[in-house]
Amino acid sequence: MILLDRVTVIYPNKTVALSGASLHIQPKEFVTIVGASGAGKSTLIRLLIKEEEPTSGKIIVGSIDYDTIDKSNIPHLRRKIGVVFQDFKLLPNLTVYENVAFALEVSGVKTKEIKRAVPKILQLVGLSEKARHYPGEISGGEKQRTAIARALVRNPKILIADEPTGNLDPKNSWDIIELLLKINRFGTTVVLTTHNKDIVDALKKRVITISRGRVVKDEKVGKYTL
Amino acid sequence: MITFWRVFKSGFRNTFRHAWLSTAATAIMFVTLLILTFFAFSIYFVQTQLKDVQQKIDLTLFISDDAKDEQIKALQSKVLQSSGVTTVQFVSKADALKRLENSSEEGKKLAKSATEIGNPLPASLEVKLVKIDDIGNINKTIRGYSEGTIITETSYDSRDDNRKGVIENIIRISNAVTRVGGVLSAVFLIIALLIIFNTVRMAIFTRREEIEIMKLVGATKWFIRGPFIIEGSMYGVFGATIALLALVPISRVVGQFLVEKLNAGVAVDYFGANILLIVLAIYAIGVFIGAISSWLAISRHLKL
Repeated sequence: MILLDRVTVIYPNKTVALSGASLHIQPKEFVTIVGASGAGKSTLIRLLIKEEEPTSGKIIVGSIDYDTIDKSNIPHLRRKIGVVFQDFKLLPNLTVYENVAFALEVSGVKTKEIKRAVPKILQLVGLSEKARHYPGEISGGEKQRTAIARALVRNPKILIADEPTGNLDPKNSWDIIELLLKINRFGTTVVLTTHNKDIVDALKKRVITISRGRVVKDEKVGKYTL
Repeated sequence: MITFWRVFKSGFRNTFRHAWLSTAATAIMFVTLLILTFFAFSIYFVQTQLKDVQQKIDLTLFISDDAKDEQIKALQSKVLQSSGVTTVQFVSKADALKRLENSSEEGKKLAKSATEIGNPLPASLEVKLVKIDDIGNINKTIRGYSEGTIITETSYDSRDDNRKGVIENIIRISNAVTRVGGVLSAVFLIIALLIIFNTVRMAIFTRREEIEIMKLVGATKWFIRGPFIIEGSMYGVFGATIALLALVPISRVVGQFLVEKLNAGVAVDYFGANILLIVLAIYAIGVFIGAISSWLAISRHLKL
C-alpha cells in the first residue's frame, strides 16, 4: 500500500514540485502515473524511495510512516522497494549477473543464497544467456531487463519503474511492459511512469495524471491525456 | 562478517582499478613515510649521541690522596643528596689504574710506568647529572660543602671554555634537529593527508554514479564508505612497503657510515634490535594517514 496525503514539496529556490498531492495505491495494483515533464512525477518517485523529504504532508508505504523512520533504516526501506530508471543505472564494471547479485550483496545475503537466487531471476527476465556480459555489450532492452532483475531479486512488495521505456524502441518497450505486467501478476505492486501514449492507452489499467504538482485525474481504466 | 569481506574486496579492487590515482597517493605516502622515518631516526640518533657525550662529560671530583674513607663516604652521600644529581660512583686509585690499563695499548704502557712510580692517579667520585646544563652550578655547590675540602680538582674546573662551547653546540644542534625534523615531518604529513584526501575525493567524484546506485539498491553507509577507507589504507600499506624496501639499502649505507665515522654503534644497534617494531610502526602510520584522509574526504564529499 502506498499512501500520500496532501504532500507538498517546495524546493529552496521556491519551485513548487508538488502541491497537496494525495493518492492511494492498493497492494498488487498496476498504476501508471502520467504527466508532462516537470509535472512532479520524478519528485513523487524520489519521495517514495526517501531520497527527498516532503515540505509537508504524510507518506506511508507498507506499514512504514516516512515521518518516523530512523535515518539509519533508510537503506533497509530501499531494499523493500524495487526501482527501475530510464537510464538503467547499472554498474558498468560489473557483469549482468554481478549487477543483480550486487543488490543482494549490499543486503548481506549469503553467497550461497545469491548463487541460487540470481540465475532464477535472470531466467524470469530472459537474460540467462547474457549473464556474463557487461552492460556495454548488451542492448538497451536487455539493460532495462537487467535493472528489473536487480530490482526484483530481493522480492520487493513494490516495484517503481520511472520511465523504464524512455530510452527504448517500441519493440523493446513492449517487452519491458509485458515483463512488468508479468511481475504484477505474481503479486508485486507496480508503479509506472511514462510518456508513451500508446503504452498507457493499451494497458487499460489505472492511470493517475499529474499536472503542476497536483493529481488532476485518477481513472480506474485510464487513457493518456495531458 | 560477510559484509566486511565484501567491503574489503571492493576496496582492494578499486585500488587497482584507479591505478593512476593510486600511484600518486602511494608515491606521496612513500615519501612521507621515508621522511618521517629519517627524522625519527635522526632525532633518536642525535639524542643518543648527546646522551653518550653527556655521560662522558659528567662531573668528576678528584679526591686528595690524604682523604680518609669516612671523609670520602661523607662527601659521597652529601653530593648524592644535592639536587640535579642522579648517581655518585666512587673510583679508587686502584680502579683508576685498572681503567687506564684497559683503555688502550697506550694506556697499558702508561699504567705500567705509573705503577712503577707508585700510582699517581687520584681517587675520584663520578657524579652523573640529570641535566648537563646544570653542571656549572652543581660544581659550585659541591665546592662550597664543608665536606668538599678533600676535593683537589673537578673535571669542570679543568675544562677550558672551548670544551664548554662544544657541549653547548651539541645541545643546540640536537634541539635544532628535533625542531626541524618535527616541523618537516608535520609538513609532509599534512601534504600526504591533503593528497590522499584529494585522491579519494576524485575517486568519489568519478564513482559518483556508482555511489548513487549503491544508495538506490539500499547499501548502508558503511557499505559505501568502507571501500574508500580500505582504499586509503591500501595506499598506506603500499607506501610503507616501498619505503621499507628503500630503507634496506639506505640503512645499510648510512649505518656503516655512522658506525665507522661517527662511532654511533648504540643508535645503529637500537635500530637493528627494534626492527620489527619500526616496521610495524611505519605500516601503522601509513595505514593511519590513509584511513584518516579517506575518512575526511568521505565525510566532506559523500552525502549519505
